[in-house]
Amino acid sequence: MTLASTRTKAEQALSRSFEAVAAELPGGRAIAEARKAAIGTFAALGLPHRRLEQWKWTDLRSALKEALPPAVNERHELSASIIDAALEELAAIDAHRMVFVDGRHAPQFTTQADLGGLEVTPLAEALRPDGSASDALTDQSITGNEAVVALNTAFMTDGALIRLAKGVRLDKPLLLLFARSAREGRLVTLRNRIVLAEGAEATVIEAHLALPGAAAGQTNTLTDVRLGPGARLAHVKCTLAGERASHLATWLATLGQTSVYRAFQLTAGSGLVRNNIFALFKGEGAKLDISGAFLGREVEHIDTTLVVDHAVPGCESRELFKGVLADRAHGVFQGKVIVRPNAQKSDGKQMAQALMLSPDAEFDSKPELEIHADDVVCGHGATAAEIDEDLLFYMRARGIPVAQARALLIESFIGEAIDKVEDERLRVALAQMAKRRLTGLTAAQP
Amino acid sequence: MPAVQQTIDQVRRIDVDQYKYGFETTIEVIKAPKGLNEDIVAFISRKKSEPAWMLEWRLEAYRRWKMMSEPTWANVHHPKIDFQDLHYYAAPKSTEGPKSLAEVDPELLRTYEKLGIPLKEREILAGVQNGSRVAVDAVFDSVSVVTTFKEELAKAGVVFCSISEAVRSHPELVKKYLGSVVPQSDNFYAALNSAVFSDGSFVYVPQGVRCPMELSTYFRINERQTGQFERTLIIADKGAYVSYLEGCTAPTRDENQLHAAVVELIALEEAEIKYSTVQNWYPGDKEGRGGVYNFVTKRGDCRGRNSKISWTQVETGSAITWKYPSCILRGDNSRGEFYSIAVSNGYQQVDSGTKMIHLGKNTSSRIISKGIAAGHSQNTYRGLVSAHRKATNARNFTNCDSLLIGDKCGAHTVPYIEAKNASAHFEHEATTSKISDDKLFYCQQRGLSEEEAVALIVNGFVRDVLQQLPMEFMAETQKLIGVSLEGSVG
Repeated sequence: MTLASTRTKAEQALSRSFEAVAAELPGGRAIAEARKAAIGTFAALGLPHRRLEQWKWTDLRSALKEALPPAVNERHELSASIIDAALEELAAIDAHRMVFVDGRHAPQFTTQADLGGLEVTPLAEALRPDGSASDALTDQSITGNEAVVALNTAFMTDGALIRLAKGVRLDKPLLLLFARSAREGRLVTLRNRIVLAEGAEATVIEAHLALPGAAAGQTNTLTDVRLGPGARLAHVKCTLAGERASHLATWLATLGQTSVYRAFQLTAGSGLVRNNIFALFKGEGAKLDISGAFLGREVEHIDTTLVVDHAVPGCESRELFKGVLADRAHGVFQGKVIVRPNAQKSDGKQMAQALMLSPDAEFDSKPELEIHADDVVCGHGATAAEIDEDLLFYMRARGIPVAQARALLIESFIGEAIDKVEDERLRVALAQMAKRRLTGLTAAQP
Repeated sequence: MPAVQQTIDQVRRIDVDQYKYGFETTIEVIKAPKGLNEDIVAFISRKKSEPAWMLEWRLEAYRRWKMMSEPTWANVHHPKIDFQDLHYYAAPKSTEGPKSLAEVDPELLRTYEKLGIPLKEREILAGVQNGSRVAVDAVFDSVSVVTTFKEELAKAGVVFCSISEAVRSHPELVKKYLGSVVPQSDNFYAALNSAVFSDGSFVYVPQGVRCPMELSTYFRINERQTGQFERTLIIADKGAYVSYLEGCTAPTRDENQLHAAVVELIALEEAEIKYSTVQNWYPGDKEGRGGVYNFVTKRGDCRGRNSKISWTQVETGSAITWKYPSCILRGDNSRGEFYSIAVSNGYQQVDSGTKMIHLGKNTSSRIISKGIAAGHSQNTYRGLVSAHRKATNARNFTNCDSLLIGDKCGAHTVPYIEAKNASAHFEHEATTSKISDDKLFYCQQRGLSEEEAVALIVNGFVRDVLQQLPMEFMAETQKLIGVSLEGSVG
């Protein structure tokens, strides 16, 4: 198609800003080469557009009108109290913290655990010529030629590299905070890696927040999760990127034999979000549970696209995504479960539900199954509807005012997804954060 | 849970090497030279003695087609089709154009007899012979050879004839409705069809008339290296009702044959159209050689208030099926339905489903799809349900189940659900059709073995689709009734 060869302003700007900042990006020669190759891949692909099946409902080419300059060495004046305030209920959770501001590690706010078997390294350090460099680049085979991943490789500045040794159990959650403070719009590019060796156990919270006064920016973040045999990871991502901000996120997870991966994503108050999740079962008997709650208002656009690949027999996957859409918000859910030939005894279940509060809201979903084995149990479902009048009537008949009844129904709808978080304190904190935003959401509705 | 033995046996019975309609009729034919250009389009138009506007319409479609490229999004794989290496027109020499039964070449009548579609009229009308009163339009390669019960239908005011005849006898209706549901440039294959369609059926049921009998078309591809491009246009005027059946077969050949049809249905206010298909094209042999490539555009337009269109299909044939019978629910309170059982065997590839496009207020749709894949086949359900901004109170319920028999085949589900309206209620379900323990327990309590109980419950379950079929098709689908969906996956 000749269309692809004409590049939009944003696409050209991205290629140009790479030239401008390439020298300042961390990494030795090998990394510089990899970055160059990646920007070449991006130049060939361009930003994903609606003619690409996976981007049918999220047309980045038309949504990203401009490319912001990459944040390379932003200055910031911050205090721990500003950060705590931005973390809301998460601040009260007793956790090891690692804080990144505008795409750079901020060691003054990081409270690292001195725990045997836990290694935490900022990516920028690892990328240094003497660091464990090339190993920080992600295995491309899982995502193919993804433009968003290519941009991440080209521009990544920092992130957390976490390694938990065999059998080690992390005493408390590890909170990775990625905050934005820049007063001018910047592109922040992050890459994380979480590796749990055999039998290791951890809870990791990824929080992406805008600090007060921060300009709307663009984020491209990638988290690579690798679970060894029998490892257990609870992974929570909280995206509160800010109005008009764009947030492109990729999770790549590979699950070893009998490992357990429980993930949850809360997304709210963000202009444009794409959460791309690729999960691959590498060892038999592994379990995966990915859930999410998304709250959209005004013209926010929230897209969750996930691919669960049952490449080996005997694995179990569960997904539950629930969204509340107000005003002209647009929600997207694309979920694909693949069961490879011979992946017998696979068990997959997927559900996406949206509650539409406004006549102008839109929810598009595509729960997809691709099954090549005959002895499997797979199911999926998707619903889109407004609040059930009967339920509302029932509650009103029992004396609950309509506004409260609506709020309760919405809260319980979202609550089903949040309930999937096992850690109680974390669950309560997330529910509180969601509730606060739901109040804002429902108040404005007719 | 793997498929139960009974299911495996049932599917085996309709496996590709069991194809019964693979014989060939030797008959003299007139063919257009191979290839496609404006001259061939004009040749077909001339053969059909069409008026100038029709030729112009075809040429416009041809020009649009030349600028289009083949769609590649479907989950089907085949070598590139050389559209210049095909005959676009083939007609039995003796029967160029429909005639009365008495004039039809006996060889053709014998062919249809062998296919189980006896083309008889007088005996049935006179009550000499028992037979179902079904009017048949028999299409052989590029032409309609005969249409039965025409006079009988005319008494009720129903027009049932081949489309080439309709172009000549009812130009005002054809002009008004042809291409109004599937425009010439709708997609690659529809454009091709618009340029070269040779025959097909035309039905017009006037206001307030309930069509007195089932109408049907039987399509037969016979010639080598010939594409069949039929076009069907059915119009149900205000308050009318019609039920239409379509059947199709082709001889066993080791080359692939192309079939690219377009079906347009138009239901005006309070009208109802029921369209049923038993698609039994030659599926290719055990190694996947030969078989029909079936690229079909079928779409119904519920144009008036309270109108209803329902598609029912039972598919066992074709090497490749690419077909999405759809409903545009334009009229307020209109309803669309889609019931489908698709069984794929051998190396068959099925990419089929439906689209329900809700535009009017209070529209509703229902999709029930059962896919069964065996052998090395790939069976994909692809569907779209969308509610536009003004389609308040749109309702949809979708249920698609699939079953795999063996570990070399694949079953896929690709539903697209777009709700642009808060009052839309969309439910998509592709659950494992696990039989509820309660039902099973109930049956077993009454002395049935588990296997028998499963078969009983499943038969009742599949009947959801089958009971939508007119009686005449029951025999053809009987063999599928027993197919159990136990162990199926979403």
